[in-house]
Amino acid sequence: MEPQPESIERPAEASGPAGGRNYSRLYLRFILLTLICAIVPLSLLGWAAFDHYSDFSYDQMADYFQRRAEANRRIVELFLKERTAEISLVGYGHSLEDLKNRDKLEYIFRLMDQEGSYFTDLGVIDDRGKHMAYIGPYDLMANDYSVTFWFKELMKRGPEVYVSDMFMGYRKTPHFIMAILRREGDLKWILRATIQNEFLSSLVENIKIGDTGEVFLLNYLGVFQTNPRTGGKLMTNSDLPIERFTEESGILAWQPEGGGGQDRPPKQFIAYAWLKEPHWMLVVKQDYAEAFMEVNKANQSAFLLFNLSLLVMLTVSGVIAGYMIRIIQKRDKEADSLSEQLIHTSKMASVGELAAGVAHEINNPLAIILTANQVIRDLAQLTATLDQVFKERLLQLLSQIDSMVQRCNHITHNLLRFARRTKAPTQLVDLNESLKEVMDLTEKRAKTNGVEFSAAFRPDLPKVLASPAELQQVFVNLINNAIAAHGGKANGSIRINTRLAEKPERIEIEVADSGVGIAADQIGRVFDPFFTTKPVGKGTGLGLSISYSIMKQLGGDIKVQSEVGKGSTFTLLFPLTSTNHEKNNISGRDDV
Amino acid sequence: MSETNSARVLLIDDEVAFTSNLAMILSVRGYEATAVHDGESAVRAVEEGDYDVAILDLMMPGIDGIETLRQIKRKKPLLEVIMLTGHGSVDTGVEGMHLGAFDYAMKPIDIGDLLEKIADAYQRKLLQEQRNGNP
Repeated sequence: MEPQPESIERPAEASGPAGGRNYSRLYLRFILLTLICAIVPLSLLGWAAFDHYSDFSYDQMADYFQRRAEANRRIVELFLKERTAEISLVGYGHSLEDLKNRDKLEYIFRLMDQEGSYFTDLGVIDDRGKHMAYIGPYDLMANDYSVTFWFKELMKRGPEVYVSDMFMGYRKTPHFIMAILRREGDLKWILRATIQNEFLSSLVENIKIGDTGEVFLLNYLGVFQTNPRTGGKLMTNSDLPIERFTEESGILAWQPEGGGGQDRPPKQFIAYAWLKEPHWMLVVKQDYAEAFMEVNKANQSAFLLFNLSLLVMLTVSGVIAGYMIRIIQKRDKEADSLSEQLIHTSKMASVGELAAGVAHEINNPLAIILTANQVIRDLAQLTATLDQVFKERLLQLLSQIDSMVQRCNHITHNLLRFARRTKAPTQLVDLNESLKEVMDLTEKRAKTNGVEFSAAFRPDLPKVLASPAELQQVFVNLINNAIAAHGGKANGSIRINTRLAEKPERIEIEVADSGVGIAADQIGRVFDPFFTTKPVGKGTGLGLSISYSIMKQLGGDIKVQSEVGKGSTFTLLFPLTSTNHEKNNISGRDDV
Repeated sequence: MSETNSARVLLIDDEVAFTSNLAMILSVRGYEATAVHDGESAVRAVEEGDYDVAILDLMMPGIDGIETLRQIKRKKPLLEVIMLTGHGSVDTGVEGMHLGAFDYAMKPIDIGDLLEKIADAYQRKLLQEQRNGNP
């Protein structure tokens, strides 16, 4: 007996409050698992797409910048080419004689001016650096140019047009010159024209790229040839890393020096393109951040989308996990109550066995006491010499013993009755009666479901030896199923027949409903445990399987016929073996 | 009455005290009572002697009551058997009735009731014998 409480205790603990199981940990594990399953591929995809897109957009932006620089370079080159063409036309198209003539020179200057007033002035200079003729707003006739860098440069050069860098010169305004060296016999002279900084500047300075973008020209030493919007002035040195401008045109990202932390100048994105003549370069420059703003925006929205997806997944996995936990909880609860029932049943069974054992063990000695009592009584009656008072007293005490034995007898019989009840005591049951009881119990429920009962009982059915409670369970199951089969369908009817079949000799009980019927593919499974057509949580799927096992235990059977839409008929078959009905006479006696 | 009381009763029970007490009670009432304490001896006794009524306890060591009943009935179909048990199993009772037992009762049975049952059984036996004797 010792292990008994142990085996009862353990399942009882498990079937206690459902919170005893760690559902929240299971919940978290579900979420974690689904999240990992969802996030890992999403992150991989996101990372790959981001990486690819970043490269792609960088390339696009770089290409765009370079082409922009090259396009602007072409404009500047075109401008310069037109101007040099004019100069060389004038220089080679006229003799020194013509050009020395101030009137003639002025006439030519006017002609050139008609193309657009790019030239500020036009001068003819001899090989000692003195003006021979000059048309223009400044008074430069007395100046000696032989010391200027461009004069020296020109003297070394061939016949092509020389274009200078920006410089201040005698007139103290930024400008650059175009000049050619002409030779007529021994004579060397220079035709020189000045172009104001503004014209060149107008070509590039007005180009706006975003808020921080700009276009400017640098000479090969990194001196500004036009006014940049930021980072310097015309004719000052830029801090751009021109040593890195090695290609004919290219792009680079550049972090300017200076400052620290917050004051650090923003990183720049630079495209450059070298001009052929003069040795200048065109630079397109923009804050890196601004240049890649669109890319960053796209990345940001992708990042946002990623986070949003995460949020959605978190929610979804939370909801799904919650749903699953609820299902599991419900299953557990069902299993618990089932095992609780089992435990209860087995507990009752063992208590019953114990009671039966005790009763039996006590009944034997009681029987002996009774007989011994009777022997004494007989002896007393037969012994004539006994004192009358003593005899009376003796007989009185003997009947007291008898009544005490009867008292014990009651106790043991009660114990036995209890023991028998714990294992579904069988007795002879009038099936009609039992059915009638169940119908009375279920009639109200049927009516509220719009279902009418009709019954045709064969009278005087032989009684059947069975457990009334179990039979009741079978009937209740069948009738409840029949009611449920109508599913609220109006004007339903349930017909209940009992009849006595001849061959083989048996009682048949038919429960026929006018409900929805059972599909052909399901009819073979209706007696399987846990098979149910009811919505989840409504049926255990055990009713018919329990009914089936009860009928089988009785040596009977249960059959089903059904037509979808017309209804189902369940038939209970009770065999009429002699055990079941012949000897009705013992029923009264064993219960005493 | 004298006929009734001359019935020979076989008591089959492993409780010696029970059989000896019962034998005394019966002999006081004119019965001829013999006690045996297991199934085998019972069968042997039935073979050798001539009894009218047997009181059979169903719970015995060795061959059990039902088996004893079966063998006794095979040998002496007219011998009436009253089954006694300390255990309230209906199934055994029903089985015993099937095998031709006269009645079935639970221990501790009231002595008066038991005497009545014995008398009834004996009456029945006499009736059966008469019928067999003069068909």
